[in-house]
Amino acid sequence: MIEIKNVSLWYGPRHQVLYGIDETIAKGQTVVICGPSGSGKSSLLRCINGLSRFQSGEIIVDGVSVLDPATNIHKLRSNIGMVFQHFELYPHMTALDNITLAPIRVRKKSKSEAEKKAMEILERVGIPEQARKHPAALSGGQQQRVAIARALAMEPAIMLFDEPTSALDPEMIKEVLDVMIDLAREGMTMVVVTHEMGFARKVAHKIIFMDNGRVVEKGDGQAFFEHPENERTRRFLNRILI
Amino acid sequence: MDLSVIFRNFDFMFGGLILTFQLAVISIAGGLLLGIFLALARLSARPWLYYPATLYIHFFRGLPLILVIFWLYFLVPVVTGKAMDEFTAAVVSFIAFEAAYFAEIIRAGIQSISTGQTMAAYAGGLTFFQCARHVILPQALRNMTPALVTQAVVIFQDTSLAYVIGLREFLRRVNLVDAREARSVELYLFAGLIYFLFCSAGAVLSRRLENCLQRDWA
Repeated sequence: MIEIKNVSLWYGPRHQVLYGIDETIAKGQTVVICGPSGSGKSSLLRCINGLSRFQSGEIIVDGVSVLDPATNIHKLRSNIGMVFQHFELYPHMTALDNITLAPIRVRKKSKSEAEKKAMEILERVGIPEQARKHPAALSGGQQQRVAIARALAMEPAIMLFDEPTSALDPEMIKEVLDVMIDLAREGMTMVVVTHEMGFARKVAHKIIFMDNGRVVEKGDGQAFFEHPENERTRRFLNRILI
Repeated sequence: MDLSVIFRNFDFMFGGLILTFQLAVISIAGGLLLGIFLALARLSARPWLYYPATLYIHFFRGLPLILVIFWLYFLVPVVTGKAMDEFTAAVVSFIAFEAAYFAEIIRAGIQSISTGQTMAAYAGGLTFFQCARHVILPQALRNMTPALVTQAVVIFQDTSLAYVIGLREFLRRVNLVDAREARSVELYLFAGLIYFLFCSAGAVLSRRLENCLQRDWA
């Protein structure tokens, strides 16, 4: 479970990005965050695993406070998988090495054990035959699936997705979304920043609309799409749903 | 042209070449090591690391190398009261001076790797050092190889400046032979050829190294 309590974030002394965000994400839920660029969606996501150090408020992940000095942040992060818009695969390593790096270095698994597990996950995301290739030799959709596999290899309790399909060609979006839909249906706790409203309709338990660093509207899939209450949400939905 | 002057004095000049190599190798190794620490300090968010490193780099990059050598050889003994032998003075000057240049190359190499890579590594639970060792440095190293090799070649050439405090390295010995034999054309063309050969070898090595590092990815 993720509890976000009154979180505010600044970049530099004057530039405030998040304004007192309050949100609770229950175990097994999929929450979609959407909103215009610069609204603070990605920043909020990065606060959850402490990649962004917010200045006030508190985030508690499975009972552990993220920015508490007593918290082992590396251990906490190893239980939270993260997938990025631009994949961020390590270009000097094969797909397999990308996936096994953290299990070997952080979880101290043996190489053979980590590789066995990595192959199982690659099987699950549908690209076991790409294991020995470097990221540059893979398509965008394949790279993103390797990135998802890399996160899953740590057997995380939570998965964070930061616009996972925004950098993909249209014909590759589906292969990535399919993997994410499977994960959501298997009961993974997921926080997904995305504009894929089809995905949101299908699996989101809750949709959060952000603008200018604040949560403007939230609701379950049906209510959010059919009766958006806020004018700003309505305009945004009109624009992205065409 | 009387090339026999080269063969007659070959052993003497070759001895200088060995000294040149000793100076160059120790200076490159030491400069690189100190440069790595300076670069890390300069990338640090901690002011007590950042400011001294930045000051150091600007200071040494703003001085001619020959002045640093003079300072170390003539000034430091005055301050400490202990004389420094020529070889030590030269090596310490080279290391101190070249480290500033290496540091900037390394800093730029590290900064050329996108912050997304660091974030991905941290998100997986890696520590600062694991991230540096397995994710950032292998990539940064490849990006900085050409600049590092160029700088190493420059150091190799700069070692000739050690003659100002009386070290008889390669070029100084060629110079001494010329004083005795008065064969400037042959001797200085020969010296040029030797420098050219070793520096070109460095350039070829650099390209090999890059190809080798690049083979699989990018």
